[in-house]
Amino acid sequence: MSTGLVLLIVAAVLLVWTIASFNGLVNVRTRVQNAWADIDVQLERRHDLVPNLVEAVRGYMQYESSTLEAVTRARSAAVAAQGASIGDRSQAESALTGAVGNLLALSENYPQLRAVESVLTLQEQLTSTENRIAFARQFYNDEVMKYNQLQGTFPRNIFAPMMGFHSAQMFEAASAKREVQKVSI
Amino acid sequence: MSTTTVTTAAFGPRNRESFFAAQARNRRATWRMSAFCFVAALVMGIPLSLTITPLIYAVALGIASAINYFHPLPPEFWIWAEHIGRTGINFIIQIGSHKSAAGWSGLVPGAVIMLAPGIALSLMLWLGVLALFHRAGVGGALLALNAREPNPARLDELKLSDVVQEMAIAAGLPAPKIMFVDAPGANAAAIGTSPNDARLVVTRGLLEVLNREELEATLAHLVGAIGNGDLSVAFRVTSLFESCGLLLMLLNSPFGLRSRGVLWRIVRYGLGGPRSKGDPAEAQAVADVLVGCAGLETDDIDRMFDPTRKKSIFRSARDFLLFPIFFTNFAIKLSLWFFSGVLVGPAVGLLWRTRVYLADASAVQLVRNPDDLASALQKLAATDTTVPGGDWAAHLFVVKPAVGSEGRRPSQVEMKAVAQAWATASSVSSDAANASSGVLQQSTAAPVTAGVAASTMPFAASPIAATAPQFSVATPANFAIDPARFRQEIFGVYQSAMRGDAPSIAKLSAFQQALATAEGAPKMEMPNIADLATARRGDAAAIARLRTFHAQHVAPHAPPDAKSAAPKPNDVSSLSFVPFHPGVKRRLRRLNRMGAHADASSDPGMIKVAIVIGLFLAPFAIMLVALMLLLIAILTLASVGFLVVWLAVIHAIFTAVVGH
Repeated sequence: MSTGLVLLIVAAVLLVWTIASFNGLVNVRTRVQNAWADIDVQLERRHDLVPNLVEAVRGYMQYESSTLEAVTRARSAAVAAQGASIGDRSQAESALTGAVGNLLALSENYPQLRAVESVLTLQEQLTSTENRIAFARQFYNDEVMKYNQLQGTFPRNIFAPMMGFHSAQMFEAASAKREVQKVSI
Repeated sequence: MSTTTVTTAAFGPRNRESFFAAQARNRRATWRMSAFCFVAALVMGIPLSLTITPLIYAVALGIASAINYFHPLPPEFWIWAEHIGRTGINFIIQIGSHKSAAGWSGLVPGAVIMLAPGIALSLMLWLGVLALFHRAGVGGALLALNAREPNPARLDELKLSDVVQEMAIAAGLPAPKIMFVDAPGANAAAIGTSPNDARLVVTRGLLEVLNREELEATLAHLVGAIGNGDLSVAFRVTSLFESCGLLLMLLNSPFGLRSRGVLWRIVRYGLGGPRSKGDPAEAQAVADVLVGCAGLETDDIDRMFDPTRKKSIFRSARDFLLFPIFFTNFAIKLSLWFFSGVLVGPAVGLLWRTRVYLADASAVQLVRNPDDLASALQKLAATDTTVPGGDWAAHLFVVKPAVGSEGRRPSQVEMKAVAQAWATASSVSSDAANASSGVLQQSTAAPVTAGVAASTMPFAASPIAATAPQFSVATPANFAIDPARFRQEIFGVYQSAMRGDAPSIAKLSAFQQALATAEGAPKMEMPNIADLATARRGDAAAIARLRTFHAQHVAPHAPPDAKSAAPKPNDVSSLSFVPFHPGVKRRLRRLNRMGAHADASSDPGMIKVAIVIGLFLAPFAIMLVALMLLLIAILTLASVGFLVVWLAVIHAIFTAVVGH
């Protein structure tokens, strides 16, 4: 009788633990998905802003047509990569980050741009969007780290894949891919 | 040898700490301090409950007797009441005589009887205050700040709202609303009751003093604080003091109109239903009174027992009847004042400091660069941090706001404006001096001693003299203007102007004019410089003009006496001698541990002086605390004794009247 009671208690504890860890994993996974959605929002915002900025500065930066072309191309590539895997997307978006960074840095060389209110506002919006993407990426990666830690540790690493939890992928910053900035004075 | 190195490594200073580790450590510290606060509130609550309980019994007994008069209560009730009374009185006698008939365990029922009603009432008051002000939100508090939403058409305000959005994304929180204050002081605060109605108060000065990275770090501190749940911590702390104020109001209400007025406002607000939610200003007004009350500003009772008042038999009889309540009131006031100043205030202050450190660590997590926050803190420590209308929430700001406008440091904006005005004055004065020199040259001949001028015009020099030292303290390290040299220059010109030097007078006048029109310059009334110079030579008309100037502009702003000049304690942080904000150096040291490179070394001489003073003062402080504790114990027991006698008399009268 007492062994039956012990078994019952052990089974109950196991059940409670399983439910708790399942719910914990679901919570963290939802947060990871939310964080990813937040990145998505900011990437969309950048895709919308970039053509405006390129158009606004085109008249002032005629001699930088190659940089402007690179930005436009990177943007098209990033838009095209929207349905691709996280790895491909982060590569395409990193290329766009580099191109936009180049453009913003180069625009510092054009003092006449500093007098144009609309360009300044666009620049600020784009700078902020770059920061937002960076911060959203940071938050996403932190959440992914927590999630992977939670579902990768023993004994969850045995049960989690059975329940459909798989480790999430980080959104990498491919800083090595950033083009070297060419400034011609 | 190897064991020694291992030990020193294990017990030596941790030279690098991750922000996650720092957060975990500060969270643990918060738990410890919360427990300390709980114990402190309990210790404060025991003498309080002991004194309040007889009052509650008195009121209950009065009501029961009144009911009994119309509708006789069963005799079991009176037996029961008498039993309670006996147990309570025995408890007090045993405590007072340091011995117990039935051992310490025999005291438990008596203790429960004497403490439970008081504790229950205090808890009810606290919960009531929580519910009342939670409903009101923070809208009313914002009215005092005169804040507005940022204008996205302005680039710097667009930058502000962008940075707040960025930080909210980094923290994974809904973006808080921004309330922008057009004030030159540089500071920011997070206020609200929960992350959902959180607001960031940011001044214009902050945008001018900090660069983008520092602004990010500063706002990350606030967003991190919101994410850590500091708003509800602050709310509970404030409500703790507010319920102390409410308790005092209740005790004062038999004596004073003012207390009754506030109580009536609270009741009206509480009963106002959902409609009165739209009137947060009223809630804030009441909250202000209550926090002020915890600073013991209620004087209704003191006025009531003012010996200079007109005497009459009726009044004497009433005073005699109400004396136990008055005495209880006094005992409660004293123990509230003592315990909130010595125990609960510092405990809450220490608790809040752990929250500030935690928010700093969260800010580092969000921006991933401790140097940004370090340099922001250094810059803010070196500039003006006043927020007009913000002293009610001083503890919610990133750095402690400077109090009032007296003796504050001028901001960088003000300094720049003054410097520009001085530069314009210098260029203009060379032309103007030629024009006005002829008039003043004649009066230079009139011999007047400086002594006469000083005695007739003691105030004349004060506006300039008062502003000049302000420039000397404004020394942000990276500021282009050398304030000491600047002050010396102005003062030199002032002195030669007072000797009657025409170019100097012209230059000062031009400076005055430039200052009056310059944007962002500190607004101050200054007497006419030419009048000042001629008055020194005894010119009656100039003296008369200066007299009227003094009456109009200087006298109204001067503090009439020390009492009214003292700052009103309407912020919870003013109730504690432990500052709610840790010193900037301490915060910098912790940031350095997380990898910042700020200079956080403090003057070792000052530390030695502080230690020596502390060693000398500690015995006196301990003696003082012991004496106060003894006094409070005596007063509490005496007031309980008075109340018990009073209760017995009332009970006897009722029994005689009712014929029980």
